[in-house]
Amino acid sequence: MVTVSELNSGHMPTWCPGCGDFGILVALKGALAKLSIPPEETVVVSGVGCGSKLPHFIKTYGFEGLHGRSIPPAQGIHLANNKLTVVAVGGDGDGYGIGMGHFIHALRRNMAVTYIVQDNEIYGLTTGQASPTTRQGTKTRSTPNGAIEREVNPILMSLSAGATFVARGFAGDIPHLTDLISQGIAHRGIAHIDVFQPCVTWRKDLPYDLYQKKIYKLEAEGHDPASFDAAMKRAQETERWPIGVFYKAEKPIYTDELPFIKDLPLAKHDISSVDISKYIEEFM
Amino acid sequence: MADVNRVNFLIGGPAGAGVASVGLLFAKCLQRSGLEVFGTNDYPSLIKGGHNTYAVSASPTPILSLLGKPDILIALDKKTVEAHALELSEGGALIFDSNKVSDAREIAKRQDITYVGAPLSQMAAAAGGEIMFNTVALGAAMGILGIDFAIIEGMLHKLWLRKGQKVVDSNIAAARAGYDFSKSIVNGGFKARIEFVKREKTLFINGNEASVAGAIAAGCKFVAEYPMSPSTAILHLMAGHERDYGIIVKQTEDEISAANMITGAGFAGVRAMTATSGGGFSLMAEALGLMGMMEAPAVIFNSQRAGPSTALPTYTEQADLLFALHASQGEFPRVVIAPGDATECYVEAFNAFNIAELLQVPVIVLLDKYLSESSQTVEDFRKMPLKVERGKLMSDEQLAGAPQPFKRYELTANGISPRSLPGQKNGLYVSSSYEHDETGFTSEEGENRMKQIDKRATKLSVIPEVFIAPTFHGASASLADIMVVCWGSTKGPALEALRLLEQRGVAARLMHIRYASPFPASTVLKALRAAKNTVILEGNSEAQMRTLILQKTGYYIEKAYLRYDARPFTPEEIAAHVSKLAGRK
Repeated sequence: MVTVSELNSGHMPTWCPGCGDFGILVALKGALAKLSIPPEETVVVSGVGCGSKLPHFIKTYGFEGLHGRSIPPAQGIHLANNKLTVVAVGGDGDGYGIGMGHFIHALRRNMAVTYIVQDNEIYGLTTGQASPTTRQGTKTRSTPNGAIEREVNPILMSLSAGATFVARGFAGDIPHLTDLISQGIAHRGIAHIDVFQPCVTWRKDLPYDLYQKKIYKLEAEGHDPASFDAAMKRAQETERWPIGVFYKAEKPIYTDELPFIKDLPLAKHDISSVDISKYIEEFM
Repeated sequence: MADVNRVNFLIGGPAGAGVASVGLLFAKCLQRSGLEVFGTNDYPSLIKGGHNTYAVSASPTPILSLLGKPDILIALDKKTVEAHALELSEGGALIFDSNKVSDAREIAKRQDITYVGAPLSQMAAAAGGEIMFNTVALGAAMGILGIDFAIIEGMLHKLWLRKGQKVVDSNIAAARAGYDFSKSIVNGGFKARIEFVKREKTLFINGNEASVAGAIAAGCKFVAEYPMSPSTAILHLMAGHERDYGIIVKQTEDEISAANMITGAGFAGVRAMTATSGGGFSLMAEALGLMGMMEAPAVIFNSQRAGPSTALPTYTEQADLLFALHASQGEFPRVVIAPGDATECYVEAFNAFNIAELLQVPVIVLLDKYLSESSQTVEDFRKMPLKVERGKLMSDEQLAGAPQPFKRYELTANGISPRSLPGQKNGLYVSSSYEHDETGFTSEEGENRMKQIDKRATKLSVIPEVFIAPTFHGASASLADIMVVCWGSTKGPALEALRLLEQRGVAARLMHIRYASPFPASTVLKALRAAKNTVILEGNSEAQMRTLILQKTGYYIEKAYLRYDARPFTPEEIAAHVSKLAGRK
């Protein structure tokens, strides 16, 4: 058994009071406790941004890397030790902006890694610029006349890139989000969970109650997560904002094709004396 | 009198004609005859057409670079005759397709050479397929030298067996046809011949291949790489042996991903590497700083090519030295090693993985196109007593008693802190790109900042100078007229130049520098001060190693022979320059 309090790092989060990241942190802890994953067997990986400070506020192993680069080390850690639970977290700028290339490629690789995006539709830590998910027309400090370009639709991208678990949660609904994250971690393959994360400082125009008004739960309206077509349709809704599991499929994962780590993770392989004879032979 | 077991060879033709494969086969036949062999290629950046060459020098004694003019030239097209016939040594032989280049004599305008004009394609077709025209040419070269045909047969057997006996047989028939054809023309009268020498088996291996051998031997289990000439062969070799050695080889979406991925793998306890060239290394710069800040072990091979930007993708240069030393913002320790030959590639690749874990730093191994793709005969690597050392990794037992929270970045006398791996109890910490305190928690406090910078910097001094010292060759310090300084792949041509200089009566001493960081300052300074006259050789236009030596020792080497036409140094040119500087003709 792992309790939520065991996962407290002892460091107080540095986020603004009311930030959506608190809800995401609580939900992540709840999910790890619910799945009873020992803290030492979890690695929380992040990039750089407000939300990327999260590894310091949860007692697991942590890797707070470079801006936009949470996904590559998460994959490296997973491949090095596929018995670990690897959860990558980061903001929308981190994952869908500078890290977009890594995001798309991670989805098609289908490694057993969970990727939570703290999506607040703004660059917070750099004090309020338009992010890739900032909706067209939105005024921010870098788009004082309204954002000219169209926003990205992460759910649609994720589905089209081949993700096998695609969900969206809301930082203001912790029990629901906890359930989504625990489903994502338990999923065999890559789990992409985009989370509506209200930014109380830079997106006062996107407050909790607006999200409450717009969102609805997919499972409450009979959405079938096994249907790719239905997921694609739901992902394109703009008037109402669906949360829940859009799509879930069981597909072979990347490490299934690596027979030599089936029983023993790479990190446990004995390297004290490697015989290079087989390699050397072709140069004789 | 014929020269026994000393011969130079050149093959030229368009890309896609198998120029490098035939060159390599020729070299391996000589290796299997018990000779010392050096082989290198030259090719433009395209897949079909253009003009490719592969050159081989063989000798009964160790040979460290190409030496002298070709004695045998295989011209797979007319362009090769036009471009290289004049290079042939006196009394050499020109092998060409008599149907394709009917006017070889008119083009070459050489009376002294033997023309071996064979209908290569026709002969190949008769043996089973026109595509083997280059095998016929190879056979012809072998026939001229009178190599035991059994050796060629053995090579072709080994090479083609996986394609089936029929392919083996037709290749042997093709080689036989060329062999008999040329033998009947030269009739034992050629200026050089090969006689079998019985000796222990050697390896014929290039810098990329030797680096991979070193990495595999060192227990590298994870490779993340994005293809880029001239490092791409490392990706291919590793991928080809993925299952033999249980190595995960991940071709990534870009070099940024590769560098960050290996940082993760290293953090999780797996020896990990990437390989690239300057352009890709540029993209890795930020991750290099991450490795430094996180104190994550990682090994990066940068096979330098001519820069900046795309420049000359398949040509050599040594111009990434200062970049490798300074890439990424801020200050952090890194190790930069520039091996000089295939054996050093093996040893230093192995060392790189040890150092990365012992010091918990990124290690950059600087290769270059010339080193990466030049092959030489070397002693079997398995004889070298190298040992895997993993540094301050904590055992579960040690961690059981560790005070909490675990101090992953503990301030220690030598700067090296205990290291735990995910999965271990009581070793929990956050590895962070931010400045951090001893536990890994973010800290922007000034005093802590200085302590952590000093701690990280101290680590480099753990490597003893004797380990990183340059190597000295040739005349002793007291007898030398001149000291030649070089680094990286210039070692081979420089060593051959020493022998040429000796023949000219110039006593030269060579100092070859391998470690650029940490830098063996006291050894280098002592050697420079003891020298009467000094010249530095570098494959760049700014004399970057000279700058580094000045920075580290205060000693300025006035004379420099810089080569930046993107071609490797040659022993002949080095000897000519050095003897002039030494006051000789």
